[in-house]
Amino acid sequence: MLGFMFALVVLLLRYLWWLRSLWRRPSSRLLSRMFSKHSLLAVREIFAEGLLHLRIYKRNRRLGFMHMSLALGWFMMIVGGKFETWFHSGQFLHGTWYAVFFRYFEPQTAGGWAGRFWLHYMDLGLLLVLTGLTLAIMKRIRKRILGIHSSTRHTLVNRVALTFLWMIFPLRLVAEALTFGQHGGGGFLTGSLGRCCFSSGMLAGLELPLWWAYSLSLGAFFVVLPFSRYLHIPTEMALIFLRHWGLRAAEDLQPEKALQAFEIHACSACGLCLDVCPAIKDHPFQSAYFLRALRSGKGWESLASTCLSCGACEEACPINLGLEKLRTAARGKIHEKHHAVYSYLPTVAPVETSRVDVLLFTGCMGRMKPATTKALKDLFEEAGLTWVHLDEQESICCGRPLALAGRASEAGALREFNRNLIQGQQARMLVTTCPICLKQFRDDYGLELPVYHHSEMLWYCLRAGRLKREKGTACFSYHDPCELGRKSACYQAPRELLQSCGTLLPLEREQADALCCGNSLGALSLSLSERQALTSRTLKVLEVPGAACVVTACPLCQHNLARQSRLPVRDLAEVLAVTGLPEQHGQRTAALAAVQEL
Amino acid sequence: MPKPDFGFAFAPNRALDLSAPLLPEVQVVLEAEPSIRACMACGQCAAVCTAGAFTPLAFYRLVLELRGGDVAAVGERARHCMLCGKCQMTCPRGVNIRNAVLLMAALAPPKP
Repeated sequence: MLGFMFALVVLLLRYLWWLRSLWRRPSSRLLSRMFSKHSLLAVREIFAEGLLHLRIYKRNRRLGFMHMSLALGWFMMIVGGKFETWFHSGQFLHGTWYAVFFRYFEPQTAGGWAGRFWLHYMDLGLLLVLTGLTLAIMKRIRKRILGIHSSTRHTLVNRVALTFLWMIFPLRLVAEALTFGQHGGGGFLTGSLGRCCFSSGMLAGLELPLWWAYSLSLGAFFVVLPFSRYLHIPTEMALIFLRHWGLRAAEDLQPEKALQAFEIHACSACGLCLDVCPAIKDHPFQSAYFLRALRSGKGWESLASTCLSCGACEEACPINLGLEKLRTAARGKIHEKHHAVYSYLPTVAPVETSRVDVLLFTGCMGRMKPATTKALKDLFEEAGLTWVHLDEQESICCGRPLALAGRASEAGALREFNRNLIQGQQARMLVTTCPICLKQFRDDYGLELPVYHHSEMLWYCLRAGRLKREKGTACFSYHDPCELGRKSACYQAPRELLQSCGTLLPLEREQADALCCGNSLGALSLSLSERQALTSRTLKVLEVPGAACVVTACPLCQHNLARQSRLPVRDLAEVLAVTGLPEQHGQRTAALAAVQEL
Repeated sequence: MPKPDFGFAFAPNRALDLSAPLLPEVQVVLEAEPSIRACMACGQCAAVCTAGAFTPLAFYRLVLELRGGDVAAVGERARHCMLCGKCQMTCPRGVNIRNAVLLMAALAPPKP
């Protein structure tokens, strides 16, 4: 049990080092939450995620079962072993090794039905673990059996730890079976195995060596644990507690401190982030590898600079690590010498306005996509809404591109300028045509006004009857922008709008699984050909047979997809403004009739 | 080769000598973002520049000034960029303009 002690000591030292920043000024919120229901919620999450791995199960049942069986089975055995020892010996406290090797020390335990219960219970736990182990071995041989395409390429240390872990349970099975074979008794699994294979007297000499092999395997695993991916077992538990106690990750990169340290080390390299990454086939910047690079301190710069920040990995991560935040923090660190000066911006004169329904903000891309703005204004007219186009004359950036590049702290002057545009206006809502502006206004501007994307607002108009559309023959495929879909959870509104005026075709990858258009504001160092390759892949999904037009709701997506697409790429507003209009239907039938008469 | 001097001028001589060795800090920037070398000064970036409506910022000019060795001016001007990315979206040669600007802004002397 030296291994276990060693692991415990290393873990304690590391955790205390990471938490050192908290000792100096203990947050009162942290302390108050420690002894409240938050701790109970944390325990529940640990049980649901750490043992049962429910989030993995929801994504992929076979994979979820595999992880669950290993974790739950082993947990059952540890707890069960403790109870069993207590039951048979009458004492609760023993040396840590006693429960683990109890079989060896007291092989012929009787104890009536309760004794038999424990024997079968322990065998059930062992069976569960061995099932998981078989699935894990199958996964290494043929990934498709478990429904995944990519799995993490592990480092040498991780492979060593994995080997020790995989040896533990088969060795236990054989050791127990042998003991039971020699001395009689045993549960449904180990007892039967022992009776049919290991009852020969010749095998008696193998008993002690097998138990030693089991012991060494277990000890070796614990020694390697703090340096391998299995550090996630204790770290994840600590992370869940810290999160429930209100600790938040820092904005700048500090990989050895506070919550970031726990997040970086809680990654189990499970590989769920790999399959969902749009760039998995070309680039190794998936989160599992990125976190590994952060842990070792080497090579994380290029992995941060090439990542698209599409959000797919964060969506898939079973322990909800703040992956996006870590990437932007890393980018900020690379370019920490960058500072911005925006004193050249003019001061905005206060305006005297009457009350309107909508404040329209088209942002920097508004200038490049005038068709979208015009279409949206036509739709406002149709819906009978009054509006003010805030940045028609002087349009600057909302500030989110700076944040995605890791330089959020430099965007203050931009926010000031935009806030001055909004101040003094009286309206019911702020509408943006770009999902990037949407996120920035919602999260970082602190406005009292509700902020909507134009797709959300148009859907509201449709439902309220301010806009009327008839379903026509047009067929569309819709591209979910990363910033609108995964990052703002807006999938329904654009779909409903398109369904109201035409047919929306189903795609292989859409909604939360959608690929990135390639026009990422997070990727700083991808080359043009690399970006074009990503766009091609996304277009392959979008160009389904029958689609007449690719529709999207983000000007950046529209611009980038249009450069390479065979089909026309239009914004949602453009399409809605001219499709499915009630009079149009009548006009079409009249036109068709006229043609037929010719 | 010295810069040509015609004996009269009302603007500073901006001739670019491509055979002159690059300053070490300029070389650092070009190595960190090699796509800068692809810039052909077409001006598309300047046409769409968001900051360009308020201040004379044009990325292609920054590239020319960088090559010419005017590091201080480049650093100062690059700080005006809002990193909106329209230039990168429209660049016909696919220069990673935002990354280049971040690197160029680091050339400026640190703020006091």
